[in-house]
Amino acid sequence: MNRIGIVVALIAFLVGLSVATFAELRVFLPAILRGAVVTVHVATLSIALFLLLSVVAGIGRAYGAAPVRWLSVLYIEVFRGTSLLVILFWMFFVMPEFGLFLSPVAAGVLGIGLNFGAYGAEVVRGALAAVPRGQTEATIALNMSAFRRMTRIVLPQAVAIMIPGLVNLTIELVKATALVSAVTLSDITYAAVQQNQLHFRTVEIFSITLMLYYCLAQFVRFGGAALEDRFSRHRARRA
Amino acid sequence: MIRFDKVLKAYGALEVLKDLDFSVEKGEVVSIIGPSGSGKTTVLRVLMTLEDIQGGTIYVDGEPLNRMDVNGQLVEASKAHVRRIRAKLGMVFQSFNLFPHMTALQNCIESPIYTQGLSKAEAVEEATRLLDMVGLADKAGHYPSQLSGGQQQRVAIARTLAMHPEVLLFDEPTSALDPEMVGEVLSVIRDLAKSGRYTILLVTHQMGFAREVSDRVCFFDAGKMVEEGVPGDLFGNPRNERLRQFLSKVLEAS
Amino acid sequence: MDWRWDFTFEVVLPRIWQAAGVTVWATVVSFLLALVGGLVLMLLKTHRSAWISRPATEFIEVIRATPLLVQIFFLFFLLPEVGITLPPLTTGILALAIYNSTLCAEVYRAGFQAVPSGQWEACVALNMSTYRTYKDVIIPQSLPPIVPALGNYLVAIFKETPLLSFVAVAEIMQVSKLIGSEYYRFTEAITVAGIFFLVMSLVAAFLIRLVDQYVKRSILH
Repeated sequence: MNRIGIVVALIAFLVGLSVATFAELRVFLPAILRGAVVTVHVATLSIALFLLLSVVAGIGRAYGAAPVRWLSVLYIEVFRGTSLLVILFWMFFVMPEFGLFLSPVAAGVLGIGLNFGAYGAEVVRGALAAVPRGQTEATIALNMSAFRRMTRIVLPQAVAIMIPGLVNLTIELVKATALVSAVTLSDITYAAVQQNQLHFRTVEIFSITLMLYYCLAQFVRFGGAALEDRFSRHRARRA
Repeated sequence: MIRFDKVLKAYGALEVLKDLDFSVEKGEVVSIIGPSGSGKTTVLRVLMTLEDIQGGTIYVDGEPLNRMDVNGQLVEASKAHVRRIRAKLGMVFQSFNLFPHMTALQNCIESPIYTQGLSKAEAVEEATRLLDMVGLADKAGHYPSQLSGGQQQRVAIARTLAMHPEVLLFDEPTSALDPEMVGEVLSVIRDLAKSGRYTILLVTHQMGFAREVSDRVCFFDAGKMVEEGVPGDLFGNPRNERLRQFLSKVLEAS
Repeated sequence: MDWRWDFTFEVVLPRIWQAAGVTVWATVVSFLLALVGGLVLMLLKTHRSAWISRPATEFIEVIRATPLLVQIFFLFFLLPEVGITLPPLTTGILALAIYNSTLCAEVYRAGFQAVPSGQWEACVALNMSTYRTYKDVIIPQSLPPIVPALGNYLVAIFKETPLLSFVAVAEIMQVSKLIGSEYYRFTEAITVAGIFFLVMSLVAAFLIRLVDQYVKRSILH
């Protein structure tokens, strides 16, 4: 596995950096790592919301009764159409006007989750549509109920199809968490900018920052690849 | 067992079945032949409720399939009614339509467990027996992608039999197969036809096989049944001009 | 909720309209740069020598796997340190262009790969020159998948431009934030900004579909 090698090398490099003799590194690295905790925290919650919304809106758009379908389409078009940063600001500065005061983490998670859920819903819908029509016909010929058809035949196959798309979106989501400093969260990016203004070590600080994000992205990719293997066992080569 | 009464099937202005009257007796083996676009596959698809019909009535075992009798009035059939009638029918598809994420055995036990309330052990026992019958006892744990086309189609037949249907519908079961695999599938169908336990409707391009196993052969053209008869008559002494043309073209090709 | 229409019309709309010019300018220029940059990156990535293709591949990987915002900050702080002083808008456009050129490179590559290898073989068999092979056979066939994908990136860049507000470029987001802090009213400005992006995105999506259909019709008949 070439990628595992890269990540191990990167982690080793980071550890090496942290014990390096540069005095500044010892000063600014802890702040950036504290930022990483915030980033991971926000990313984890956002991913959960993103996946939930993707499945609900995706199925709603594909199979829902008319009002559910319209609602799904409206949600998807509105939240895909605007810019994430605008959504984040809206959550944080305008929601209080409606009497809804969101904590910075809640605003960040809600904004990111809603934005990416709209993209994910289209992935889910596409995957559902990609399950061959013959599969549905077979369930009819076997007299299966609509519920069984969905849970036992269509969804399991659609999940295998949607995983790569959702993994890519998850990586984009992790990258997008860099925007949460807009709602006053001290994530990696915020810490990097702040430390850079204190220490003026642009190359070191931003190299480390880029690498941290790169590692997070690779981590998601591994998880995704493992899931993909798990869900496409049946696509084994001819024995 | 099966009766089509003035059945009309249309896609927009295109009429695929035109007021079709057609019936099959219990235990009868009937082959349907005809050029592509003649509506022969549609007969099976509307019978299996894969497509709705725009007019007429289909009866299965004396009961209407798409309507139901409520206090002497024929009304739109409920889901429960359709599912009850549909339980008597089983269909084998041209492209197998096995569930790719399930092994051969899982394919065969999925529906019996959930629609017939069998225990898993009972379903497995029955499925194993059926897979053995189609000669695939050793492939039970294989996924469809690990099986050849002929093997997949035999699993599909076992899966259909596991539902204990009274009527078997075969929709060009060998058309998607490489030539060397046609024989193994036909031999399974032949055994089923000979057993006399099933009413069989077979849409096929295999004229020799249709002639061999059928009690009756029907020739469809342009949404109508143009000629029917015992295989010897229909193939040996075709009366209809279209049928003669069709047979000579098919024979020329083979 | 309290929404003031006079404030919306007298303060918010005129200033956001001005800022929209900056947003559109940044979008268009970085898109054009990304189109060219993507071509260069694709040529480097598919270069015969591993000394050229390998670094190009890694560069694309790193840029794609890291946040655009961090890259914007990096350039913003780095350039002055190495003695290049550019206006924030120029730096931002540069960062947008670099980030999106890695995405465009991938689109070009996928487009060319989508042309069946039999087409190349047929060109060789017909003894066509490399120039004619590309001009008359390969490029016309690879356009249908490339054009809509590039169109989607144009919309994506448009939606990424608010990131420039982090380095104080006076585009829509920055201006609506400024209005908000000047008047202590965020609702109107941020909502108008959101609606602006929504409407522009929907219009763009519609236009892309038209262009897509046109390309498909005119090339593949």
